[in-house]
Amino acid sequence: MSKITNESAPVAVENARNFADQTKEVEILEADLAAADDKSREIAESFEKQIKEQARELRAKIKESEDSRVALMNMLEDMEDLRRRAEEEKEKTLAIIANFSDGLMFFDAEENLELVNSRMEVYFEIPKGAGSKIVGKKIADLGVVPALKPLVELLAKESKPVFRKELFMSEKAVFEVSLSDISGFHGKIGSLLIAHDITREKSVERMKTEFVSIAAHQLRTPISAIKWTLRMILDGDLGPINSEQRDFLEKTYKSNERMIVLINDLLNVTRIEEGRLIFDLALVDMGKIAQSLAVSYIDIAKQKNINIEIEDSRGAALLEARVDVEKIKLVISNLIENAIKYTPAGGKIIVAAGEIGGNVEVAVRDTGMGIPASQYERIFTKYFRGANAVKMETEGTGLGLFIAKNIVESHGGKIWFESVEGRGATFFFTIPKPSSPAGGEKTNVA
Amino acid sequence: MAKKILIVEDDKFLRELIVRKLSHEGYDTIEAADGEEGLRKIKEDRPDLVLLDLILPGIDGFEVLTQKKEDPFIAMVPVIVLSNLGQKEDVDKGLNLGATDYLIKAHFTPGDIIEKVRNIIK
Repeated sequence: MSKITNESAPVAVENARNFADQTKEVEILEADLAAADDKSREIAESFEKQIKEQARELRAKIKESEDSRVALMNMLEDMEDLRRRAEEEKEKTLAIIANFSDGLMFFDAEENLELVNSRMEVYFEIPKGAGSKIVGKKIADLGVVPALKPLVELLAKESKPVFRKELFMSEKAVFEVSLSDISGFHGKIGSLLIAHDITREKSVERMKTEFVSIAAHQLRTPISAIKWTLRMILDGDLGPINSEQRDFLEKTYKSNERMIVLINDLLNVTRIEEGRLIFDLALVDMGKIAQSLAVSYIDIAKQKNINIEIEDSRGAALLEARVDVEKIKLVISNLIENAIKYTPAGGKIIVAAGEIGGNVEVAVRDTGMGIPASQYERIFTKYFRGANAVKMETEGTGLGLFIAKNIVESHGGKIWFESVEGRGATFFFTIPKPSSPAGGEKTNVA
Repeated sequence: MAKKILIVEDDKFLRELIVRKLSHEGYDTIEAADGEEGLRKIKEDRPDLVLLDLILPGIDGFEVLTQKKEDPFIAMVPVIVLSNLGQKEDVDKGLNLGATDYLIKAHFTPGDIIEKVRNIIK
């Protein structure tokens, strides 16, 4: 980039000097230029580098944002998917509730009615349009629809959870009502009321009970005829009989007596099933009843060489309770008869009565065969007989303890037992004492 | 003179058995197979005692007791109910309608019945 000037001698020297100077200058300039050039290249390079850097960053950012856009789109799609699925689930749930074969009512977490299905409306004959009147209401306020009053009354008596409580609306409408909380991951969502139609089951059950009742009643007349005939023959009313004939007829007579017991048991069972087991409550001294019954069995027990003892821990206190005397006697007789049946000769039976925590407690203790642990749970069920009991004593209907349990529970009492197999069993039952002594009421002593 | 006992019982065989037992014990017997016949015979034959079944064709034993109670000419005739209705409500109803005693057929033997009869008409 240097520049050469063409001039004469002095001028030339001057010129030469100048030239040299200029050359120098030029050199300096060139050097400067070169430096500047370097610098600018440097700057340019660094600038370029910077730009590249920034471009790369930008590209990275673009990619990043592109990625997040895609991710967002995916998320949105997923959300939409979930929403659709949730919607479907909800629809499914609603469809299930709406078409469920039981009547359903769903209450939200605040106990307000949220949903009633159509089956419920049909079952309880909720008039069309009344459904909207009850939505948002609490259980206690559902009575605004008169058809729901019996349901409200039933639920008012029960505490949650209600499990299979029978609701009798009419002969043609009997329901089993359950009400329980429903919980999700985050606690209580609400509660669900289920009304299950048991009208048909009830009517079949009633027919069965009626059938057994009628059959048992009808059996009593011919069985009485057999009893009377056998007795008259045995008493010699129809002429003399020889000892072998007597022996056979005695056995037949006993067999017939067992049939009478069985029929009585069956009739009692039908009464339990019809819910008309207990009537005629009277205030009586349970201690005296237990005692006199125990005494009445002393002779029978002696025939088997079993002693009956009476234990009376009450002191001076009256063991009064309000009971159906005939039925309570049946309970105590059942327990004593069982004790005699299942206790081997030489054994002992203790009949005790006392007061424990506001209850009259009667206990019948024996030294008999006891109850196998495996059969504890079934001992009070209908027609059940312990395996060891069946082996030892073929008699027995399997109804005695079932009847006893129902009688005791109808009085608000409890029945239970303690037993060691092979060593004996003790059966206890309690009847609550009247909370306040009934003034002026006469005490029947049975 | 032998005492006269009316048996109101619709089951022929039961009637025969109890008649046989009573005759054997020296009583005179009259029979009726339903409530109406029974009521008529109480009026016409004036028995010393009636053995009365409760479930009968036509008017039942409770109705017989009710009508007998309302008729002063026969109200005093003692009645022993002899039935297979064994519930306390039935027993109470029978006794409240004026029956002297209440026996459940399947729980008593003919001998027991004679003893009750003897106690009432000595």
